[in-house]
Amino acid sequence: MRSKFCIMVITLCLCCRLAAQEKYTVTWEFKAQSFREFVTKAESLLPVKFYYKEDWIADLKLSDCPGCTTVPSVLTSLFNGTSLHFFIDNSGHIVITRDFAVKRPDVVNEDVKLYIPTAYFAESGGEQQKTENMFVEIGNKVDRNRPGNVSVSGYVTNSDTHEKIGGATVSVPKLSKGTISNEYGFYSITLPRGTYEVQFSFVGMKEKKINLNLFGTGEMNVDMKGMLIPLKETFISAEKNTTLQRFEAGAEKINLSSFRLTPTSLGEPDLMKNILLISGVQSAGEGSAGFNVRGGSADQNLILIDGAPLYNTSHFFGFFSAVNSDIIRDVTLYKGGIPARYGGRISSVLDIVTIEGNPNKFSGSAGISPITTRLMVEGPIIKDTLSYVLAARTTYSNWIFGLIKNPDIRESRALFYDMNGSLTWNPDKKNKFELSAYHSYDNSRFNSDAVYGYMNATALLKWQHFFTSRFISNFSINNSFYKYNVTDREVETEEYFRSHRLNSTELLADFNLFRGNNNFNFGLDMTMYSVLPGSYRPASPTSSVVSHSIENERALETALYLEDKITLTDYLSVNAGMRVSSFLSFGPQTVYMYDPEIPRSGSSIYDTLYYRRGAISGKYAGLEPRLSLNFRLSGTSSLKINYNRTRQYIHLLTNSMSISPTDTWKLSGYYLKPQIGDQFAAGLYKFMFDKKLEASAEIYYKTIRNMIDYKGGTTLTFIENIEQETIDVRGKSYGLELGLKETEGKVRYSLSYTFARTFIRSTGKSGGEMINSGNWYPANYDKPNDLVVTYNYLFSRRLSFSAAYTYSTGRPITYPVATYRIRDNLVVQYSERNKYRIPDYSRLDVSCKISGNLKSKRAAHPDLTFSVYNLLGRDNVYSVYFKRDQEIIKGYKLSIFGRPIPTVTFNFNF
Amino acid sequence: MNYMRPAILFLFMLILAGCVTSYTPENIESEQALVVEGLITDRPGPYTINLSVSIPLWSANKAVRMTGCTVWITDDANGSYTLKEGSRIGSYLTDSANFRGVPGRTYTLHIITNKGMENLNYDSYPMKMVAAPPVDSVYYEKKLFNQNGYGIVEGCQIFLNTHDPAGECRFYRWEYNETWEFSLPHNYTVLNRTCWISQNSEGILIKNSSSLENGKISRFPILTISNPVDRLSVKYSILVNQFSLNEDEFYYWEKIKNMTEATGGFYDIVPASIPSNVYCLDDVTKKVLGYFCVSSVTSKRIFIRDSFSGENMMYYNCPTGIYTGTTTIPRLNDSLWVIITYPDSVPVQRIVTSKFECVSCIGRGSGTEPSFWHDDK
Repeated sequence: MRSKFCIMVITLCLCCRLAAQEKYTVTWEFKAQSFREFVTKAESLLPVKFYYKEDWIADLKLSDCPGCTTVPSVLTSLFNGTSLHFFIDNSGHIVITRDFAVKRPDVVNEDVKLYIPTAYFAESGGEQQKTENMFVEIGNKVDRNRPGNVSVSGYVTNSDTHEKIGGATVSVPKLSKGTISNEYGFYSITLPRGTYEVQFSFVGMKEKKINLNLFGTGEMNVDMKGMLIPLKETFISAEKNTTLQRFEAGAEKINLSSFRLTPTSLGEPDLMKNILLISGVQSAGEGSAGFNVRGGSADQNLILIDGAPLYNTSHFFGFFSAVNSDIIRDVTLYKGGIPARYGGRISSVLDIVTIEGNPNKFSGSAGISPITTRLMVEGPIIKDTLSYVLAARTTYSNWIFGLIKNPDIRESRALFYDMNGSLTWNPDKKNKFELSAYHSYDNSRFNSDAVYGYMNATALLKWQHFFTSRFISNFSINNSFYKYNVTDREVETEEYFRSHRLNSTELLADFNLFRGNNNFNFGLDMTMYSVLPGSYRPASPTSSVVSHSIENERALETALYLEDKITLTDYLSVNAGMRVSSFLSFGPQTVYMYDPEIPRSGSSIYDTLYYRRGAISGKYAGLEPRLSLNFRLSGTSSLKINYNRTRQYIHLLTNSMSISPTDTWKLSGYYLKPQIGDQFAAGLYKFMFDKKLEASAEIYYKTIRNMIDYKGGTTLTFIENIEQETIDVRGKSYGLELGLKETEGKVRYSLSYTFARTFIRSTGKSGGEMINSGNWYPANYDKPNDLVVTYNYLFSRRLSFSAAYTYSTGRPITYPVATYRIRDNLVVQYSERNKYRIPDYSRLDVSCKISGNLKSKRAAHPDLTFSVYNLLGRDNVYSVYFKRDQEIIKGYKLSIFGRPIPTVTFNFNF
Repeated sequence: MNYMRPAILFLFMLILAGCVTSYTPENIESEQALVVEGLITDRPGPYTINLSVSIPLWSANKAVRMTGCTVWITDDANGSYTLKEGSRIGSYLTDSANFRGVPGRTYTLHIITNKGMENLNYDSYPMKMVAAPPVDSVYYEKKLFNQNGYGIVEGCQIFLNTHDPAGECRFYRWEYNETWEFSLPHNYTVLNRTCWISQNSEGILIKNSSSLENGKISRFPILTISNPVDRLSVKYSILVNQFSLNEDEFYYWEKIKNMTEATGGFYDIVPASIPSNVYCLDDVTKKVLGYFCVSSVTSKRIFIRDSFSGENMMYYNCPTGIYTGTTTIPRLNDSLWVIITYPDSVPVQRIVTSKFECVSCIGRGSGTEPSFWHDDK
C-alpha cells in the first residue's frame, strides 16, 4: 500500500501522545534530491514509512535548507507555501495530506492562536485535551484572514465494513449548523473560516468529533466505527441530530439495534412489525400483510430493496416480513417529504438498504427461532476490492402442522425461504459496482386441495461513478418479478392452475452535484412494466378447463426529476424539487365502452375499442412538486413544513381487509386513472434536558384522488373487466402525531400517540356507483387513536430488557343489520360501510436479551432472546364475522394470539 | 367458477392459539330497505314479484310485506304487463293469460310504492332472458363417507352435465327438489308405513361455463347425500331446474354466495350489501335489496333405486316393546308414549313406543304418493 495512500482517510482512532519526531535525524545530503529519492533514502535509513499520492510530489525537488536536521524540519521547509501538509505518528508513519493538515491536540501550532479570536479557541480548546479528538486543518493557512465562507465536503465511511454511510449527521454546534450525508455517504457544509468542532454521528455508530481549523475549501473524509454492542451511550445522539438536520418532516430512520431488541410474536426480529411502531403507520391487524401510512392504502407504499421495488413484502400471508433482518443495513421510511428521486407510489417510501460484504475478513451470523432458521456469511473475494454477502432464511414450521389432530390441518404444509446475495466491487476509488439479487418463495398447501405458491425476485446492477468528489453519478438497472400460482384440485374435472405475473424493469440515471450551498440531485427514471393479470389453465390432462389468459398489460413509466437542497441561511434550508412523470400503456388491448346511463356491467357494453400491438391505449402525465422547508429555531429545535404531490400508476386490486399475496396488480389504463396524492405536513422538533429527551409533533393533511373501491361481494381474482366492479372514490386523511423519546442512558423509552382519521367518499352519481349514499366513510384502516410505548432497560452490556405496549381503536367494520330472502335463500343486508368498530386493541410484549461474551476478539458472539408476546393474554378481537345457522344469523369473534406466546431465539455471530 | 380464496387460512389462525367465540355486537341500528324478489321465466305463469321490507336482524318480526303498490313489467317489444296483488299481501302476480317470458327479450320491472313508502318510483335495469339449453344429464355416483358417529357409510353424489349447443348460455343457476319414499321398520305393525318427503334446494348453485371447453359443464356437483337417514333406502328422485342467467344476474348471485361464505379471515371479501338491479328513480341514495330475476328454465328428473351399504339407522332409537297382559308400562309419564293395543289377541297385546314417528310416517312425510312417482317406469 506504499505510496498509494488515499489522502482523504483520516483514521481518527490514533490515541498516541508521544512526539517522537526528533529521532528522525537526516544524515544525508538531500539537496536537489527529488522527493521520491528522499523518501527512498529516508525509509532505508530511518524507521519511517511515507504515505502520499504520486501526482502531488511528481515535480517536487528538495532545496537547501540550513538548519534542517530532522525529517519534520525538512518537510516543513519543503511544504511551506504549498497545499501539502504532513503528519507523523509515533510509529514513524508519515502521512502526507493535501489541502488540510492533521494535527494532534498537544502540538497545536502557536500560529493558530494568531488568527483565531482567543475566545473561540479557549472555548473549544479546553476540552480537546480530554477527548482524544483530532485536529484537522483544511486549506492554506495563508488564506486564514480572507473573508467569506468556504465549504468542507467528504465521505463518511464505516471503518469496519468500508461502506459509505448515508444519513449520517454532520453538525457544528458552535454555529448550530449541520447537514446529513446523502445516500453515497457524501456531505458538504459551508462555514465561515475559523475553528470548529465538527460532530459526525449516525445511528448505531460511535460519535466522532473533529476539531477543524478551516482556512479554505477542502475535503475531509471520515471513518466511523460501528457499535457492536448497542449499549454504549455514545451512539444515540445521531438520531437526534438527524431529526433536526433532515429537510423532510416525516422521514424516519429505523434504529436497527433497538429493532433487534423489540419483542415479536414469533421470536423473529421483524422489519414490518417494527415499522408499525412508528407513529402514523397502521395495519389492519396482527398477522396481516402490508401497512398503511397516514391513511394511505397498503399498495401506496413503495418498498425498495437496494433500489429495486418489492411487490410483496410478506411470507406466509403476512405473518413474517419477506426481508431477512440480518442483511438490513439501513431502513428509512418517508411518511412525508418524499424526495423527488422517489416516485410511483403516493403514500410512503420504505427504503431498505442491505449490507455490503465485509472486504476485510470473513464473518457471519446464524439464528434459530421456533419458526425459522437463518444464516448469513460475508467476506472478501479479493481483499479490499471485491466482497460478497450471502444470506438465507427458511422455515421448518411443517412440524407444527403435524402436531395438529385435525386432518385438514395435518395435511397442510407451509414452506418459505428467502435469499439475498450481493457482490461489491471497488476497482478504484472513482468507481464502484454492485450486483445484488433477492429471492423469496412461499408455498402453502391447505387441506391438500389447494396449493398457493408465490415468489418475489429482484436483481440489480449498479454502477457508481465519481466524476469528481462533488459530482457523482449512479446508474442502475433493476428487474423485479412477482408471481403467484394457485393450483386447485378440489373439483376433479376442473383442476386448474391460475397464475398472475408482474415484471418491471427499471433504468435509473441519478446524479448528485454539490455546488456551494446547493446539493442538486437530478436524473431519469424509466420503468417498463409487463403484467399478466391472470392466466388459467388445466392442472391435469383430464380437466375440462380451457386455458385462458387475460390480455397482458404493458406500460412505460418515465420520470425526470430535479431537486435542490439549499442552505439559505443558518436558520433556513430548503429542499425544492420537481418530478415530471408520464405513463404510457400499450396495446394490444381491448377496451369496452359502456352505456353511461347505467352502471358498468357486462350488459351495458355498447362498443369495443381494439388497440393494436404497440398502440398507445392510455397516456397520463403530470407534475409532482416537492417542497420542504426546515427552520432551525434554535440549536435544539426546528420547524419543518412540507408539501408533496405524488402520482401512482400501478394499483393492487384488493377488497379484503388486508392485502393478500393472491391480490393482483393492475396498471393504469383506459379506465383506471393514476392516483394522485397531495400532502401538507408540518413538524416541530425539540430537544430537552441536555438533548436527552426528544419531543416531536407533526400534523398532516392529505388528499388522494382517483382511488378505487369495489362493489360489494366481488371476487377480484381473475377479473377481466375490473372497471365493472370498481367504484371511483377519493380519500382524505389528517392527523396529529406526538412523540417523546429518551434514547440515552440505561433506561430508554419512547411514547408516541397518534390521532389520525382517514375517510373515503365515492364520486359516482348513480346508486350502484355510490357507497354510503356518496357520504364520507371511514377507511378499513381508520383507527383514530393509537398509542405505542416502548421501554428498554439495559441492566448491563450483556443483559437488556425491553417492553412494548400498543393500544389502538378498533378498526371499522360493516355489520349485518337485516335479512331478506331471495329464491328461498336467506341473505344478509349490511349496514352502511364501516359504520361500526370492533373492540379496541391492546397488547403488551416483553423480551429479554442475554448476550454472550463481549470480547471482540472472541470467535463467536452468541446471544439469546426470550420474549413473550401478548403478556397480558388479552383476547384481542382480530375479526368479527357472521354466519348463518339455519335461519338465524350468528355473530362470532375470532382472536388469534389470544394468550401469551413465549418464544426463544438463539443468534450467533461469527 | 369456484375460485378459492385464501380464506382457508382461518384454519391456520386457529392453530395459532386462535379461538372463536360467539359475539353479539351492541347498539346496532336497524336499517330497513325495500326488498324486491321475483322471477319471470319462459314457463307458463303466473309469475310472482314479492315486495317487502327487510327484517331487522335478531328480531322476531316477520317481513313487512308491501301492499298497494303499482307493479308492471315492460319488454323491448313495447309490451307492458300489469301485475295484480294476489291473495297473499305484497305478492304481485302476472296475468298468465297475456304474459309469458320469451327468451331473447329484455324485461324491465317498474314499481310505484304506496303512500306509506313515500310514493317512490323504482325501476329495474333491463334484464335479458337468455335461452336455457336442456340439461344433458343428471346422474349419481356412489361414494363412501366418513360420517361422524356412524363410521364409514355409503351415500351418493349427484352430478349434472350440461352445455349449450348454441353457445349462448354461459351462466347457469340450478335449483332442485328432492323427493324420497321411506318406510318404517317392519318389526311391528304401524299406523302408516310408507310416506314421501319432498324438500327444496339449499344454497346457491351457480356456474360460469366461459372458461370450460366448449362451454361444457360436466360433473357439476348438485348435492351430496351422505347423512345416514333413509333418503336412499327405498326410492329417491330429484328434479333439477336449470335457469339461464345473463351476466349481470350471474355476478349478483356470485356475490351473494361469496358473502355467505365468510369465515372472518383477513382475506375474506369485506362484507357489504350487494346492490340490486332495481333502483329508485326519485332518490338514488335509497337502498334497494333483492333482485328482479329473469331466466329461461329447463329441467330434468332422475330416480335412484339402488342399494347402498350401511344401515338405515333412522329408526334405531325407536324404543319399542311388546307388553302382553296388563302389566304396567314403565316410565309411562316421562314422555309421550304411543300405545297400540290389540284387544282381540289373547292375551291382550300392547305395542309400545315413546315416539309417534316410530309408528306413523305422516308428519315427517306425506302419505300421498307424488303424481310423478312412477314416471321412471
